[in-house]
Amino acid sequence: MELQAVLMAAGGGSRMMELTYNTHKPLLPVGNKPLIWYPLNLLERVGFEEVIIITTKDVQKMLTPDRLKLDGKMKLDVVCIQLEGEMGTADALRHVQQKIKTDVLVLSCDLITDVALHEVVDLFRAHNASMAMLMSKLHEFTETVPGQKGKKKAGEQRDFVGVDATGQRLLFMANEADLEDGLTIRKSIMCKHPSMRIRTGLLDAHLYCLKRCVVDFLVENKNISSIRGELIPYLVRKQFSKSVNLPNNKDEVEMSQKMEGQTNLGSCKDEELLRLTQERSCWNDHHGDMSEAYHGGKVRCYVHIMEDGVCYRVNTLAAYIEANRMAPKLIEDPPIHPSAVISECTQVGADSIIGASCQISDKTSIKRSTVGASSTVREKVKITNSILMNGVTVEEGCNIQGSVICSNAVIGRNADIKYCLVGSSQRIEPDGECLTVTQNAVSV
Amino acid sequence: FRLRVLSPPGPPKTAKQGRPGARRAAVDQDEEEQPLQAVLVADSFNRRFFPVTKDQPRALLPLANVAMIDYTLEFLTSTGVQETFVFCCWMSDKIKDHLAKSKWCRSNSSNTVHFITSDTYRSLGDVLRDVDAKALLRSDFILVYGDVVSSIDTPAKTGEEHLCDDYDLQRVFAGTSDEFEIRHDLLDCHISICSPQVAELFTDNFDYQTRNDFVRGILVNEEILGNQIHLHVAKDGYGARVSNLFMYDAVSSDMIRRWIYPITPESNFVDEEGKSCTHSRHNVYRGTGVSLGHGSQMEENVLIGQDTSIGAKGHISNSVIGANCIIGDNVILDRAYIWNNVHIADNVAIRQSVVCDGVEVKTGVILKEQCVLAFNAVVGPDVTLPEGTVVSLHHPDEEEEEQDEFLSDHAEAGHNKATKKDKANNSKELGTEGQGYIWKSSSLDHTKEDELAQSLWGLVLNPDPESDSESEASEGSDQPGSRTISPELDDIKVFQTEVQGTLQRGLEENIGCDNLVLEINSLKYAYNITLKEVMQILTRVVLEYPFFQEGADLSTSQYNTLLLPLLKGWAPVFKNYVKRAQDHLNCLASIEEFFLEHEAHWGALVLMSAYNLDILEEDGIMRWFSQEGTTDKSKLLRKNQGLLKFIQWLEEAEEYSEGD
Repeated sequence: MELQAVLMAAGGGSRMMELTYNTHKPLLPVGNKPLIWYPLNLLERVGFEEVIIITTKDVQKMLTPDRLKLDGKMKLDVVCIQLEGEMGTADALRHVQQKIKTDVLVLSCDLITDVALHEVVDLFRAHNASMAMLMSKLHEFTETVPGQKGKKKAGEQRDFVGVDATGQRLLFMANEADLEDGLTIRKSIMCKHPSMRIRTGLLDAHLYCLKRCVVDFLVENKNISSIRGELIPYLVRKQFSKSVNLPNNKDEVEMSQKMEGQTNLGSCKDEELLRLTQERSCWNDHHGDMSEAYHGGKVRCYVHIMEDGVCYRVNTLAAYIEANRMAPKLIEDPPIHPSAVISECTQVGADSIIGASCQISDKTSIKRSTVGASSTVREKVKITNSILMNGVTVEEGCNIQGSVICSNAVIGRNADIKYCLVGSSQRIEPDGECLTVTQNAVSV
Repeated sequence: FRLRVLSPPGPPKTAKQGRPGARRAAVDQDEEEQPLQAVLVADSFNRRFFPVTKDQPRALLPLANVAMIDYTLEFLTSTGVQETFVFCCWMSDKIKDHLAKSKWCRSNSSNTVHFITSDTYRSLGDVLRDVDAKALLRSDFILVYGDVVSSIDTPAKTGEEHLCDDYDLQRVFAGTSDEFEIRHDLLDCHISICSPQVAELFTDNFDYQTRNDFVRGILVNEEILGNQIHLHVAKDGYGARVSNLFMYDAVSSDMIRRWIYPITPESNFVDEEGKSCTHSRHNVYRGTGVSLGHGSQMEENVLIGQDTSIGAKGHISNSVIGANCIIGDNVILDRAYIWNNVHIADNVAIRQSVVCDGVEVKTGVILKEQCVLAFNAVVGPDVTLPEGTVVSLHHPDEEEEEQDEFLSDHAEAGHNKATKKDKANNSKELGTEGQGYIWKSSSLDHTKEDELAQSLWGLVLNPDPESDSESEASEGSDQPGSRTISPELDDIKVFQTEVQGTLQRGLEENIGCDNLVLEINSLKYAYNITLKEVMQILTRVVLEYPFFQEGADLSTSQYNTLLLPLLKGWAPVFKNYVKRAQDHLNCLASIEEFFLEHEAHWGALVLMSAYNLDILEEDGIMRWFSQEGTTDKSKLLRKNQGLLKFIQWLEEAEEYSEGD
């Protein structure tokens, strides 16, 4: 076993409370599958047989193989953590450190992507990297999002990511929020990597390959609580720090010992061979000066940037809607579940998904939409660009457009719903109209 | 060796794609009809080659035995320039003479050279303003300095407007671009292709001195004016500006190693007699009439000019030797640049140094790295010049004198005295027969610090490794958790120290309380502090002040005697902040908090004096007193004898006034 997968599924989805109020984030239906299915499927596709899932008690109860609709080969090792006390991702990883024997692949449960995962892992292997991560071009969400008027605020903080000329080595990372006056780049980085491309508009997929010794480092440094927020920036900075450590700086000494002398950890032979290979090899990662490969740096961070392909992090309502739209392309199952009953005079677009045991009546048209399991749609209903979760009932003559209808909601007759979010188990009275975008979720 | 690998033009720069505009296209059409023009600035307007350039302008300094301006003109001509305007300032006559004799001024030259001289040019900006004033240029032109060596093919065809700088960063920040590149591996070869507007822009912005000013100006104002700067990164070819001796060394050795092909030492492109030489193995070039002594070795990369004779058993490598030199026996030259008519006696060793025309080096002299012997200096015998020694016949002080030409005679007299003194001193360092003065690059004049800091050999060779590592260490030690401290707390702390500083200054400089209030108010806004916090902090600072003045161990009486005058002095400040009833309570709470920490010094005296100074009002004190302390300590505090007395007194006074 080369890599152990750790799936972080304990997040509360605080950026889309409208949806996570009733359904836990890992279980939110996307294309009629729970969100957590996507990362698990990603791992399964590349042959992972075991995965450690870190989640909360509530979610654990719901995580039955039946629900996950996996093929059943994966062994899920579910670890529960207490949500209280603000545990970060790094804390969570520290929590399961006893189970971690090798390098780890950490990913988040809200990742939906069709990345060829081996590209990230190959980078990790090829350069014997301390960390390799995945990024993707940021997608613009063009659709109108219920409850958000007008355009999204442009005030979002940009991430600046510096990569070297090959576009793989991660040299620099900063968030606009942390910059006081301008971007400061250390001279030592520029000397070693004279051509640096600074990119913005990238989405961090929150998928990291981490060396075993980084996990050990985490165990020893309890003050790091978030992987993305603290550990990764620290590693990126560490790449170019002097290996000579100040004696009082315990942290660094330990870190470098970890990085250099992994010998104690049983992989002694490998490391020795690796060092020898590097010494004997004439391969070098850079041109222009005579120093050894990687300039002798022990910490190396790499990033794989997806230029095309699907990559979403479902952590906002907008991303959720967008992910649902993309879902049919990612799922191989037939879009219309065999157990769904669809009457003949009904139009169901090829880009729509109809869940199990649905009943769709006559003269109904469904386009670019997802209809969850056990939902009932009566006559003369038009559904476009919408997401209907499980057990939704739509009475006759409704027109639903660009909306999200949560589980077990009932939409009364002739309702006209545009760009709305209807909370779970809500009833929309017959002949009611929710025309405006601002007409937002009413949760129970 | 980095330089030759990285010869494309342009300093660090962010990638900015050229947006070919309509104007651009129109100009392209014109180009075919109009002769290509160039502006050659034969003056560097700086003193990086000082004191060498005191006797000869930089453009005429020999590089591989050919004056640098010849390389520039050759480059221009081979690019297809048909008309070149040479702007001279310093020693314009010499440049004129040189060019008049050269092939560029012959009737068959494809490149017509015009001279424009003026002593009033002080910068590139002046030159370009003059270009504009004289309306010399009709179309796009090439702008180069007289010390550019290049073999880049037809940069004109790139059609880009020209180069730039890292100021782009700012713009990209402001812009919407998703991606930009920072390069640290580019060399600016100072070849610019400018549209005629460039000259106009220099006129419009009379404060532009250098190209950097211009680039910065354009980049900042680009969006308003629609001017663009483009950059062409040459993938091959050679281009460099000999901007300091380090570059001189690098370009010379590249020349001998034939990196600037087709410009090579033996090609004799200047077409002058006596410049031809033969090329043999290991890049050894010999001019006509060179005589070599028995057993002298020319290892590799050596260029020897016409009629030079070299003694026996010498060892020469990576060096350039000019014409008519006489070099003695047992001489070791490595990376030495010996110009014309130099006499080097026996047993001399020279490493990575420049020896100018007419210098005499006596026997047994050793020149360590990075020495410069300027024109006609004499050194030796039997001395060793330490690293970085610069010797010139000109006295270092002359330079200043020249700058202030209005200095009166008596200054000169004084200066002469100094000269004599120095001369005596120098004999030890330069040898008994030595002539010249040692220029100390370390004795930086404040006014010229910028220029001298990069003097002669440039900074590149002496990077300060310590400062670099220091900054790295400090950055590296950046603890992962160091960011967790909330900024708010920090602000309050900073604010507190600022207030303390303000009050201290107030005491020292006797600043009025009104002004102190003003300063504290502005601090309040700067750190976003609420009024309540201001008062708390102010109280705290004032109460702590005696400790701050005299150290932490004060007896109570000492403390009180120190504090009372302070309170008195700053009473108006307090009054400004303590106005409403709630303020009084807050203030008292802060006082209480402070004395909870310093119980020993507690006494009613503080309250009393505050009351007497009208800082605190009776009602406030009474209300505070009646609030039961929440902790045992604060209860204890209220039971203080002195306080009880004071309260009692207050109560009595109240009754008395009521009764009255």
